[in-house]
Amino acid sequence: MALTGCSAGGGGEQADGGVGPITFASGKDLTGAMPQLIDTWNAAHPDEKVTFLELSASPDDQRNSFVQDFQAKSGKYDVLWNDVVWTSEFAAHGWLEALDAGDVAGDAVLPAAVASATYDGKIYGAPFMTNAGLLYYRSDLVPTPPTTWDELLADCEIAKQNDMDCYAGQFNQYEGLTVNVAEAINSAGGSFLSEDGTTVTVDSPEARAGLQHLVDMFADGDINPAGITYQEQESANAFLEGKVLFLRNWPYVYTAASAADSVIAGKFDMTTLPGKDGPGVSSLGGINLGVSAFSKHKTTAKAWVTWMQSEEAQRVLVSVMNQASVLKDLYTDPELVKVSPYLPTLQQSELTAVPRPQSPNYNAVSLAIQKNAYAALQGNVSVDEAITKMAADLQQAIAQ
Amino acid sequence: MSAPRSSATRRPRSDGRLAFWLVGPALLVLGVIIGYPVISSIVRSLFGDGIGESPFVGFDNYARALWGFGAPEFWRSVGITYLFAGVTIVLETVIGMLMALVMNQAFRGRGLLRASVLVPWAIPTAVAAVLWKWAFDPAGIINALTGSTIIWTGSEVPSIVAIIIADTWKTSPFIALLILAGLQVVPDEIYEAAKIDGANAWQRFWRVTVPLIRPAIAVAVVFRLLDALRMYDLPQIFTQGANGTATLSILAVQSTLSQLKPGYGGALSTLTFVVIFITAFVFVRLLGFDAVSRAERQRGER
Repeated sequence: MALTGCSAGGGGEQADGGVGPITFASGKDLTGAMPQLIDTWNAAHPDEKVTFLELSASPDDQRNSFVQDFQAKSGKYDVLWNDVVWTSEFAAHGWLEALDAGDVAGDAVLPAAVASATYDGKIYGAPFMTNAGLLYYRSDLVPTPPTTWDELLADCEIAKQNDMDCYAGQFNQYEGLTVNVAEAINSAGGSFLSEDGTTVTVDSPEARAGLQHLVDMFADGDINPAGITYQEQESANAFLEGKVLFLRNWPYVYTAASAADSVIAGKFDMTTLPGKDGPGVSSLGGINLGVSAFSKHKTTAKAWVTWMQSEEAQRVLVSVMNQASVLKDLYTDPELVKVSPYLPTLQQSELTAVPRPQSPNYNAVSLAIQKNAYAALQGNVSVDEAITKMAADLQQAIAQ
Repeated sequence: MSAPRSSATRRPRSDGRLAFWLVGPALLVLGVIIGYPVISSIVRSLFGDGIGESPFVGFDNYARALWGFGAPEFWRSVGITYLFAGVTIVLETVIGMLMALVMNQAFRGRGLLRASVLVPWAIPTAVAAVLWKWAFDPAGIINALTGSTIIWTGSEVPSIVAIIIADTWKTSPFIALLILAGLQVVPDEIYEAAKIDGANAWQRFWRVTVPLIRPAIAVAVVFRLLDALRMYDLPQIFTQGANGTATLSILAVQSTLSQLKPGYGGALSTLTFVVIFITAFVFVRLLGFDAVSRAERQRGER
């Protein structure tokens, strides 16, 4: 069969059956363990070698690189490290290859992770890594962790007595703010968009109550005024230095907090996020491995992303990379729980986690949430005005 | 210095052709790397955004920015861009002038001073922005030294002040350098003559120095104006455009790259270009000088 140009057809039409070397474009590998995973695969598949291409550490820069590659239809990146919130956008543009749900979205995979890879009823990425927010607290000062906001606020007295700040999260105007605001609003029973992403649902008393909770914590001094500039690392530092009683963050802080030289080692614990009238709801983070629609070796690419989800690869993910697996069983695996005691708690958080609003215009949606919530947290506008404006901005964002 | 224009009355035709072929490659390169993107961005701005085919929408993207849904954001950006440009240029001109006057004096260590003044200008803006962002951290050196507890990048006015301080630090040396070049062509005899005529130091500055270096100042200010109206890196790194610091360039980049709206982003880029062009034009015309030719003429007269 003759090669008819280099245009990307379906995997089956490719002359070599879509088998051959592929390139994996990844975010910066902060764990240093990715080459280990890739070497394992390459040793077993010498004709289908994976080349590891590390991009920027900044998700925005990664996304720009991917978008440019897609727009040029270059197929230079066969497999892409997709943040969960990009799936809808990339899939809607026709840039990702649909995958077989039986291969990468089976019963062994966490349902929330599968939902994050789903667009228009099809699977557009192999869930690889997942993530949910946890509440870190000082177990030496707080005997029983709070499960509701009222209990959390009551515990703020303990912070005052110890001359600490009560709470820290991510409130700088960036993607992390969307995550934190979404958690507050979801935990109060509100939402942003309908499930199909076509209707704005944020203009509700529940959403107002959720945002009000964060605004009140700033106004009452339960969150340090400097908290408005915090991203993940700044907020983690405040907790690691023993300056704050409660911290909302991802599981990765555990490693630094429990290290031998940490001032809070042995003095902290983790629980699920509190909510308005009961347990709260976490936003879902994580990475899905997408196969480019312009890849020239799709068969290999699909086989590799499936392998990356296998137990063999996922064990390395949990034990070496210290990241959260997408496989349910690994959360209760005694060997892994010994290394990462928070795994059962994290699973609880992930089972109830809600993906951030799913929309092909996700960045515009997120910007609408960030801008208006930020103005309310600063006290520049009332919660009521912020939510009303957020609804109008979201309407514009999804209409485009 | 090139020969005065008047002497080049008639050139042989072959000279013109040679000149064309010499300049041609440069024009071609300019056309490819500047002309093509500018034109394609303007063309793209006439088409809609969204997924799939982009329909032709005429001037809808412009209407959206100028009086449609994007108008409040667009005009706020215009406002903050002018605020940054206006305040920084005034500060930088005053400080740059002072620096130039000091650098122009003869004293021991002048070479060292001149070199060290240029350091901020030599540092890439993005690096300088990161340095200043650390300095303005709530627990950073600025608050530690002044004893203040301002959250610099957490609200509007402090963010704007911080960005202005960083920009002034960064760019004053540039103005100082251009003014210093102007100062160095003022001959000492003029000052001696003024002294003999009984002018005091203040009078010598206002009546002799300032008029003579006016062209140099004008060139510096026009350069800075064009530059400041395109400001991107400092606010982007300080606040990512939050706290009302989204300049026109930030807005255009956000729309084009982050929100994948090349049509609307193209319209914003074009509008930014128009705004800068009109401002520079008005500035040069209103103040009644043709900066470049005046400077040249003056040099020619000497």
